[in-house]
Formats: sequence, C-alpha cells, structure tokens
Amino acid sequence: MNFQRISLLFLSLLAGCSSPSEKIVVATAANVQYVMKEIQKEFEKESGKQLQLVTGSSGKLTTQIREGAPFDVFVSADTKYPLEVFKNGGTDAAPKVYALGTLVLWSKNISEKDLNTALLGTEKIRKIAIPNPRTAPYGEAAVQVLKSENLFASVEKKLVYGESIAQTAQYITSGSAEAGFNALSIVLSPEMKGQGHYIIIDSAAYKPIQQSAILLRHSKDSPKKESSKQFYDFLFSGKAQEIFKKYGYK
Amino acid sequence: MDWQPLWLTFRLATITSLILLAFALPLAYWLAFGKFRGRGIVEAVIGMPLVLPPSVIGFYLLLAFSPSYWFGDFIERIFGLRLVFSFPGLVIASVLYSLPFMVYPIRAGLQSLPASLREASYTLGKSERETFFRILLPNCKPAILTAFVLTFAHTVGEFGVVLMIGGNIPGVTKVASVAIYNEVEALNYSAANQYALVLFAITFVILLIVYSINNNLLRVRQSS
Repeated sequence: MNFQRISLLFLSLLAGCSSPSEKIVVATAANVQYVMKEIQKEFEKESGKQLQLVTGSSGKLTTQIREGAPFDVFVSADTKYPLEVFKNGGTDAAPKVYALGTLVLWSKNISEKDLNTALLGTEKIRKIAIPNPRTAPYGEAAVQVLKSENLFASVEKKLVYGESIAQTAQYITSGSAEAGFNALSIVLSPEMKGQGHYIIIDSAAYKPIQQSAILLRHSKDSPKKESSKQFYDFLFSGKAQEIFKKYGYK
Repeated sequence: MDWQPLWLTFRLATITSLILLAFALPLAYWLAFGKFRGRGIVEAVIGMPLVLPPSVIGFYLLLAFSPSYWFGDFIERIFGLRLVFSFPGLVIASVLYSLPFMVYPIRAGLQSLPASLREASYTLGKSERETFFRILLPNCKPAILTAFVLTFAHTVGEFGVVLMIGGNIPGVTKVASVAIYNEVEALNYSAANQYALVLFAITFVILLIVYSINNNLLRVRQSS
C-alpha cells in the first residue's frame, strides 16, 4: 500500500466518526428503556425525525450532562436528578413528571400465590435484590415498603444492591437472589416477559415514584432545538401516555 | 470518610495475592520447564483474563455462582455457601481475574535464569524440589515481588467483576472502586474524590517501594 492509499483510508475513517448527527439524543433512565423503544418507534413514524437512546442510571446521566454530554432530552427515573440539572442551569424549564412508577416484588422460582413481603423475613429467602436506594428511586421505595411493614431490621442482612434497576432484574432473573423489588415496567417488557412471577406492591406503602423529564438547553441556532422540543412535548401527548400505561406506569 | 471499603479492598487484594502465589509457583515452574503437549492451550486459558472484558468474566461468574445453575447449586448443597454476593465469591473471582498477573512474571523470571544453575544443582545430587525452593526461587526474587505486587494492584483496581457479582453490600462486597462509583452516581463528588485520592496515593507508594527494592536487588546482582 502506498502512502496516498493509507492516508485516504485514514481520512475516510476520520470522516466516519466526525459526521454531525441530526438525531435527537435522549438520555434514558434504565427503567424506561423498554417503553422508550416503543415511544421512539411511534415518534419516528409520526414526525419523520430520528431518535437515539442512550441508556444509563439517572445518576450517571446527570453527571454526564453536568460535564457537557451532547444530550437533547433527559428522561429520568425520578425528579431529584433532573432538578439537580435544572438548579445547575442545564435547562430553562423545571422538570415535568411524565409518569408514576409502580413497584413490584419479583421472583424467578416462587409462584404468585406464595409471594408476599412477609415471606422475605422467612428462611426460604436468603438474598433479596433491590436497586441501590441511595441512587435509584425504586430502591428507595423498596426500603420504604420494608420499613412500613417492620421488616427492614430483620431482612437488612439479606439485601443485595443492584447498581441500577436493570442489574437488579438480572440478579432476580438469574436466581442469584430468591426475590427482589423492581419496576413493573421492566417485568412487563417484552424482553422480560414470562421470566418468573411477580406481585404488585400496594402503592400506599411507598411515596409516589415521580419520573420526570427535562428538555436540555440548546444554543439559539442549534439545528436540534426545534426537534428536541417536539419530542419533549410528545412525551406528554396522549399517544405516549397510552404507551406508558401499557408498561404499568400511571 | 468511611474507611470500610478501603480496608475491604486491601483485605481482598492480600488474600487473593497469597492464594495466587501458592498456586502460581508450581504452575509457573510447570510452564517454564515442563514438557507436555497442548502448552498453547494452557497458556491461552491462563492469559484469557488479560484480554477478556471484566464484564464477560463477571457475567459468567454470576451465572456460575447462582444457585439456579449446577455449579452454584452444588456449592450451596455441599458447603451451604452462596458464592454470589459473598466475600469468598469475590476472592475466587479475583483469583481467576488476576491469574496471569501472577503466573507470567514468575514464569519469565524462572526462564531467564541460566540453565547451568539448575544443572549444577542436579549434578550435586539435589532433588528437583530442593533445587526449585533453594536455588531457583531465591534467584528470581525480583520476578516474584513484581508478580505479587502486580496481582495486588490489579485486584485493588478490580471493578467490573465486583460490580457484576458483588451486590454492593457494605463490609462484604462494597470495595473501594465500587464505593467511588456509587458516590459519583449519588453526585457526592467530594466523597468520591477522597476515596480516589487515598487509592491513588497508596498504589503509588506501593509501586514506588517495589521498584526501589527491585532496582536495588538488580544492582546488587549486576555489581557482584
């Protein structure tokens, strides 16, 4: 290969990485990743614009946004993190709640009729998986449920903490933990359907899991300013809300 | 600052390095001087953790340690022990994960010794075992020290595997690298920074000591 060819190859590789993307980049919390795929399809069909989903835990995404990650919309698992971004000036409008999450108790091997929170205190259960309550709203809700039933002290030693809702789901579906708390949206997703058994936790036992989204700040002449706003509004439209409902959000 | 994750990290690294040292000495000797078929396969298997993403190792260990699969089920029935989310599980994972860091430097050290050293010992009627412990090992101290410290440091730096199989339990599986990750997730940057600084300082000091000792050992050997 001569020098010209090599430099041509090199240039084409460079060109491949630097082509500016017109896609709307949506930072997506792990618990909404499946429902967002469906919303993405619907939005792309309706608007003819393209979305790109970046999935992670809300805490990580918030850190990335603070450090200038090129996201257009942030769909969080709670309201705390978007509020953090808002306070730091990453957006002009306060976070808006797009859905209320539902907590479930989930197990790979224990059937629905035997599954209940009281069972967690018995010897049948050696490990209980919950998302990290310091960072994940569903973990926080799980701790509230355990405390309200006076189970927390007796089961605290059995708790194992998933880094995100998705990792907690993996602990449960692999059977590494006999049972665990998770989001109804994960249990109902096509990827997880039929994996084990679950019961819905009475929503009076925990504070509402308010999931919020924010439209991140764009420069005045940003080509994505309009389309990002369009997607942000779509999240609150009847069509999107219908899809959220299908996945167990309220 | 909570010192528990740091203490746990160094406990894990020490235990892992000691276990690996015991395993790696005969293994390195076998690889260095043994005559057997399929050497390439053995070397490839030992070297796998060098190139595999930690998430691959972590994922397979999560399945292997889970009581829903035969290995985890077997261990739980025989020993009543669940390896996933436990300290012994982390030790086993770290031993696998750091294996090449212990074996390769020791093997290289053994191979770099002149063959005449071994032959002289055999000629004087010493057994293979005695030659290994009293002639070969004392002569590759720098290699063993390097291997031990590399293993130790690699275990301190372990993150992906622990994140996959640890379950983040304080005092049991929440090691320093995971604690840093957690603090960043919680947007608690000052705590993350404290852990990170301590790790940074300690690992630097460890490596500094090792390289100083090694340089001294080598200088002594060169001048004699």
